[in-house]
Amino acid sequence: MFASPWLVGFLVFQAYPILISAYYSLTDFNLFQAPRWVGLANYRLLFSDERFYKSLYNTLYMTVFGVPLSLLVALLCALALNMEVKGQPVYRALVYLPTVVPVVAATYLWRWLLNAQYGYVNQLLGLLGLPQPLWLDDAAWTKPALILMGLWLVGGTTIIYLAALKEVPKVYYEAAALDGAGWWRRLWHITLPAISPVTLFQLIIGIIGSFQYFTQAFILGQERLNTPSGGPEDSLLMYGLYLFQNAFVYLKMGYASAMAWILFLITLGVTLIILASSRRWVYYEGE
Amino acid sequence: MGWQTGSGITRRQLLVGLMAGAVGLAGCGGRQPAATGTPGRGGRATGRRVTLRFSYLWTGPEAKALERLIAKFNESQDRILVQGVSNPDTQKQLAQMSSSSGFDISDNFGSVVGSWASKGIIRPLDEYIQGDKYDLSDFVPAALDNMKYEGRIYALPITVHTLLLLYNKQLLQAAGLQDPPSTVSELATAIERLTKLDPKGNIQQLGLGLPSYLAFVYPFGGSWVNAQGEPWPDNPANVRAISFVVDHIIKKYGVEAIKRFQSGFGEYASPQNPFYVGKLAMTIDGEWQAQFIREYAPDLEWAAVPLPYLDGKPELKGSTEISTSMFFIPSNSRHPEEAWEFLKYLVSREAMLEFAYALANLPARRSLLDNSKFGQIPGFKPWLESLRSPNLHFFPNAAWAAEYQTELTSAFDKINNLKASPAEAMAEVARKMRQRVRE
Repeated sequence: MFASPWLVGFLVFQAYPILISAYYSLTDFNLFQAPRWVGLANYRLLFSDERFYKSLYNTLYMTVFGVPLSLLVALLCALALNMEVKGQPVYRALVYLPTVVPVVAATYLWRWLLNAQYGYVNQLLGLLGLPQPLWLDDAAWTKPALILMGLWLVGGTTIIYLAALKEVPKVYYEAAALDGAGWWRRLWHITLPAISPVTLFQLIIGIIGSFQYFTQAFILGQERLNTPSGGPEDSLLMYGLYLFQNAFVYLKMGYASAMAWILFLITLGVTLIILASSRRWVYYEGE
Repeated sequence: MGWQTGSGITRRQLLVGLMAGAVGLAGCGGRQPAATGTPGRGGRATGRRVTLRFSYLWTGPEAKALERLIAKFNESQDRILVQGVSNPDTQKQLAQMSSSSGFDISDNFGSVVGSWASKGIIRPLDEYIQGDKYDLSDFVPAALDNMKYEGRIYALPITVHTLLLLYNKQLLQAAGLQDPPSTVSELATAIERLTKLDPKGNIQQLGLGLPSYLAFVYPFGGSWVNAQGEPWPDNPANVRAISFVVDHIIKKYGVEAIKRFQSGFGEYASPQNPFYVGKLAMTIDGEWQAQFIREYAPDLEWAAVPLPYLDGKPELKGSTEISTSMFFIPSNSRHPEEAWEFLKYLVSREAMLEFAYALANLPARRSLLDNSKFGQIPGFKPWLESLRSPNLHFFPNAAWAAEYQTELTSAFDKINNLKASPAEAMAEVARKMRQRVRE
């Protein structure tokens, strides 16, 4: 009886939508008329849809390049912040500050920062004598632009890593210092294994989040009157964005539901693989 | 909580569930509150005013003109109170029509009638037209046809639009051109003489702004559908028209140079519009530019001429794309009868004249085409004349029109990036549409 509020919530907001979306994925449903049963046709159409593969490629690109890179940068920032420097709280706040900026406002700001002619990013590159790509107008540079924007937001991961770094027992470092280990060996053999549970967590969360990448791609791809767009040559067409377009712009809800279930299976598969592999590189305290 | 086996699995279920949940709730015609709601929706009881929600895509000065009409309507009677809101967002518009209640009347382009009517999103108006014995004969016939799907009328047109070639008089004179181009070959010469590069190869002035291919194919004898009304993107005339732009502009000056040039353009509806500031010597645009230029660049010396036609084919003179702006009543409107009353007002002679004049749009009523008021808008005459041409083409109004446009836009993007030749890209669209139309 005391569980009933949670139970009702679970059934209405989680179980029912999950089951009904599985049903919709087997129908042709345009939101205005009753769903029409089509069996596995949506899935078959998906596998022959070129934009489906493009969106999958774009999303995997963001995941494969974006997630490890942001973890690496976050770790470097945390290591830097862990050093005994004056004004450390100020630096910590500065690193974390970008994550507090609302993501939509920040994305519009970045849209102007990355402007090929007037944006500050290209002006800075110009000062340094580096080539200035067309960023959001060039299909080859739109995803690197997104990754750049993502690196600006490593503050959250940095703070978590910082906490983990402070948890590493000092005795290990002292023992290593006694044995004459340099900073690289200390990093590789002590620090990284000690924080590996955090890395595992961040990796899985990062990958799941990356598979659902939507907001920045949606905003940067916007055109007049908010007509749907995937950016130049569909280079900004993320899986989540294509799903959204299918559902709410082309009114192919069944098709979109099928896409959602495929994403579920992919995410499930990848997570299980990572968890299985984690036994080899993650060290938990007390082992 | 027992279901927390691993954070990954739960989060995924939650997010998939939430997404599907939002869909499910919407699909059930759920209990979502009205998006642009007003309290006190008023009832059928005498003395209580019915509040009509009117969401429209126009903004800025065009929205102000519309609000003046709304105020007039509200003052003229006390049965209906119209509340207008500017929502220049086509996705939001569609989302509101799929919820339990959104707005009661709105506007869009006639090209959506086919796909929306086929899905039951908008309400047919035949019963209201017959009930009031409403006279449709004054509407421009082609515009009215654009409002029909399977023989029923789903909207009424307020304005029509055609595209012409606008040119900057000073820049043309400076380049030694006495007259604006009237044929395709003259256009090619003009573009070359009007494009200026700096020593590094960056574009400083472009002869012709990249046109919309949807309109550009018509003066070449192109068409987007064949005689049976089926999609025909790979019509050889279409490919020829698109190749003209690719060869004379994109390949000639380079994709990167053009993109760099375009990224520095100012806002379309502002004094920094690239045509107003001389970055583009010529551009293909619609009749509303007469008002825009009057407002944003009153000192600009400009004029409009028909789109240059293919040499040796004078029968193609005056070819251009025509489109309509219309008002419709969504199926989920709560006050369709009152919405119909307001709709009739909006497309009445007086209101249409005032609105069309304020926006410098072409009116959709034949009796207004000769109205002297339009003579007060400088530079507007060529567009009124353009309506007399027999070569006006609508984009097809079929149920698959929206998907056709999406595929074409995608193909145009590839073509403009030189990732596919016009022939290849159009053949690809043809293949995809053959599949789609068969479904």
